[in-house]
Amino acid sequence: MSQAASPTPKQKYDLNFARWVYENVDGGDRMALCMQCGTCSGSCPIGTQMDYGPRKLFMMIRAGLKEKVLTSNTLWNCVSCYNCVVRCPRKVPVTYILHDLATLAVREGYAEATHSDNALFAKAFWWSATKYGRTDERLVTAKYYFAFGMSEGYKRGMANMKIALGMVRTKRMHIGMPHKVKETSELHKILAKAAEIEARNNNK
Amino acid sequence: MTTKISTKIISYYPGCSSQASGAHLDTSLKAVMPKLGVELKEVRDWNCCGASVGHIAGGHVPVAALSGRNLANAKEDGTTDFVTPCAACYLNSHYTNEKIINDEHVRNDVNEALGAVGKSYDGSMKVRHICEVIAKDVGMDAVKAQVKNPLGGIKVAGYIGCQTVRPFAKTERGGNWETYDEPHFLDDFISATGATAVPYKKKTSCCGGSVSVMSPDKTLHLIRDIVQEAADNGADVIATPCPLCQTNVEMYQGMINEKFGTHFNIPVVFYSQLFALSFGMDPNKDAALHQHLIPTDVLKARAK
Ligand code: SF4
Ligand code: SF4
Repeated sequence: MSQAASPTPKQKYDLNFARWVYENVDGGDRMALCMQCGTCSGSCPIGTQMDYGPRKLFMMIRAGLKEKVLTSNTLWNCVSCYNCVVRCPRKVPVTYILHDLATLAVREGYAEATHSDNALFAKAFWWSATKYGRTDERLVTAKYYFAFGMSEGYKRGMANMKIALGMVRTKRMHIGMPHKVKETSELHKILAKAAEIEARNNNK
Repeated sequence: MTTKISTKIISYYPGCSSQASGAHLDTSLKAVMPKLGVELKEVRDWNCCGASVGHIAGGHVPVAALSGRNLANAKEDGTTDFVTPCAACYLNSHYTNEKIINDEHVRNDVNEALGAVGKSYDGSMKVRHICEVIAKDVGMDAVKAQVKNPLGGIKVAGYIGCQTVRPFAKTERGGNWETYDEPHFLDDFISATGATAVPYKKKTSCCGGSVSVMSPDKTLHLIRDIVQEAADNGADVIATPCPLCQTNVEMYQGMINEKFGTHFNIPVVFYSQLFALSFGMDPNKDAALHQHLIPTDVLKARAK
């Protein structure tokens, strides 16, 4: 596991991880105000397919269950519908917190996180977005499918072949070179600097 | 109310899907917006916004820098409104803009990154969704004034999805233009074309967004429910503002039929395609009705 930025509690109800989340996670300061009403979990379209709904996940953070939180599928199954955000009576930005915890779980190298569909997809996506400055849906999808290995990639590709051919036929998937920004070197310089700042912030 | 409108110039950020799965949104908007008195000035050399997964692989600062560059370019172009038709682009660009205004750490970080190429950005653009511009600045009277080919008799389920309205539509900086639970702008758009907006409770339900793209097995049931209610309420077509909703709800109907034994085949179009058709424009060149996996014959038959 790569070096962990967040502290791991040694005993139950050790608040050091919760405090770290309050201070370092986007929206974490408001999470401290969660009153466990359950409006978020009750509004969640995918709640039944989550290991824990957001309400419970926040309680687990307070209970010091860092590993269970960062390996839960809650972080990956959230569909970013923002129902919880607009309905929370305490204005806790639930979705943003889940996104940030997902990023943290990948950064700290939890296998469940680094092998999740989302992390593999994000990797393929980020590659295209930063290399070309634009997302090439064809290349991202192909790269993502084959991140699971050759045979799984082929299987996933075939399962979606009908859709892909339809997209080509209706000119919603082009053949040829990827679309890209004109000033790629300018964009690369900005992103290199941004990555440097990101690393600096994460090691603070 | 007068229907004479003066032209408003806005920075238009089409987003990556405009060159692929959402090409028909871009084509139809470019056709109809000038008729509504809005000139779309494409953001110079725009880049990807980071969409809904960028943060996982890239982290905060790089994702914010992506929107920062777009906003800086738009500002250099001399406009005040940064407008996008894509729900995810809107979410990211608006969110980053608010952060740049309200959080000095983010502002400094983004400017340090932009500074690597001599750019800077202060948060002074207004980041808006194009539907808000149509609903508020243009208004339904100006839309109706362009309708030369009313779509009477066509039943449409107005499916808004999530991020077009959540979480910003009812915030002051988000324009305070809609409610979260009963948004009506899309039904207004549909009615303006002469078509009938059927009752539709699923209008703000989630299609699964990018999770549907990467792991449809987790979310096909969400899309099934969205299509089912439209079918139950007699909709001929589903109309949406969101490029990802359009693609998900259209392309997965076949898989849903296989998995759940349904027989769905309902076209899913953009409001802007309905506008173009009702404005009497070309069904393919302007309305891009030929760019659908599920044929839109029910609409094409009405072309003038
Ligand atoms: S809705 Fe808000 S206050 Fe209620 S449990 Fe969820 S996060 Fe906590
Ligand atoms: S944003 Fe995520 S956690 Fe919140 S209600 Fe939607 S799916 Fe559930």
